Amino acid sequence: MPSDYLPVLVQLGLAVAFVVVTMIVTHSIGPKNRGKVKDEQWECGVESVGDARAPISVKYFLVAILFVLFDVEIIFMYPWAVNFKSLGWLGFVEMLIFMGILLGGFYYIIKKGVLNWD
Amino acid sequence: MPFSNEEILGFVQHTIGEDNIIEASEPHGLLTIEVKPEHLIVLVGRLKNHPDFQFTFMTDLCGMHIPEQIGRELGVVYMFHSWASNTLIRLKTFAPIEAPLIPSMTAHFNSANWMERETYDFYGIIFQNHPNLVRILNVDDMDYFPMRKEYPLEDQVRKDKVDEFFGR
Amino acid sequence: MIDTNLPAPPGIEGQGFFATALDNVVGMARKNSLWPLPFATSCCGIEFMATMGSHYDLARFGSERPSFSPRQADLLMVMGTIAKKMGPVLRKTYEQMAEPRWVLSVGACACSGGIFDTYSVLQGIDRIIPVDVYVPGCPPRPEQIIEGLLKIQELAQNESTRRRDSEEYKALLESYSIQ
Repeated sequence: MPSDYLPVLVQLGLAVAFVVVTMIVTHSIGPKNRGKVKDEQWECGVESVGDARAPISVKYFLVAILFVLFDVEIIFMYPWAVNFKSLGWLGFVEMLIFMGILLGGFYYIIKKGVLNWD
Repeated sequence: MPFSNEEILGFVQHTIGEDNIIEASEPHGLLTIEVKPEHLIVLVGRLKNHPDFQFTFMTDLCGMHIPEQIGRELGVVYMFHSWASNTLIRLKTFAPIEAPLIPSMTAHFNSANWMERETYDFYGIIFQNHPNLVRILNVDDMDYFPMRKEYPLEDQVRKDKVDEFFGR
Repeated sequence: MIDTNLPAPPGIEGQGFFATALDNVVGMARKNSLWPLPFATSCCGIEFMATMGSHYDLARFGSERPSFSPRQADLLMVMGTIAKKMGPVLRKTYEQMAEPRWVLSVGACACSGGIFDTYSVLQGIDRIIPVDVYVPGCPPRPEQIIEGLLKIQELAQNESTRRRDSEEYKALLESYSIQ
């Protein structure tokens, strides 16, 4: 029954409410001692120069996003593997087509040299 | 095999002329040659690029202040070493304290950069053509040169150290 | 058997509960969890490393997590010679610590310049930051550094929770020109 899951919702709500209320209350009633030097960036005691924004190479993003894609493909294979016998020949061929499409994309990636780290 | 001091001295005499060597000696077997600042860079370049000597390693650079030598108070001493032949020599130059100008050794050795900054910081020797001659070890707004021998050993106006605790 | 229980602060004890003043509990919590910022410069820093080692374990007094960032440190331990060029760095480090904060000055050089009475050495860190406990020695033995920490623990236990708002604290910071 869906209403059996109501206690879970209540528990979730209480947990989130605890975090929110604690943060609001401590920030409002806690002591605050701000100061100009105190709020500056910590750069081991010396004057900090510039900000920390630097351009990051795109290869990190590409590797991560390709990992996610192929990991999701693996996830799709798990329920197929569990019900392999009952899905029969048709299920097998469907999975082959699915993998074939994704491997086509993989071939394209390799040929483009996206995974070449340098 | 280390080259003999006579060979190196002969080459130096040939390079800059015998009259321009102010002094040459061998304390403890280490050839020490004093030259004028204007001949320094050319001489060191010839020593460094010499096919046999190859004095490509400057092991030390430091300043001196000898107040008794009028007209030649502030000086710099360089030590050069040759890896190939395991020879060590020492070069000195002096300049008057009113105009302590010495050409910078960064022309031949990158390691001279910070060493000359330290020498400037402590002795006030101005190195010409140095890329960045500012103080390196002392606070930037110091207006005197601490290692010159013209200061008393103790600060005469200190009030916060009790004399009897320090045996005075 | 050695009784290793901490003595309980004065309070009312009953069946399954213990009531005491909040200041006592906060003081006990603070004193047993002082996270140090080891500002170790010279030889006293090496003695500190020995103190943090397993033989003279400093971590058993709660200083388990040394932090090199002042944002997460309670205790600034200045150990070693502080040159005049290092002065502004030390001062900024102290200013960027969050209250409540304590300063432990370890060794003769940090307390008063030590044997280095020269143009380049700061003659004592109390010229730039307020110091709570001085540990003399050149260098002090680990036992002495631990005693310094125990004295800081006494200060931490007895410090009022609203000290940072007090006039005395504000006057102290004013005298060092710290906002």
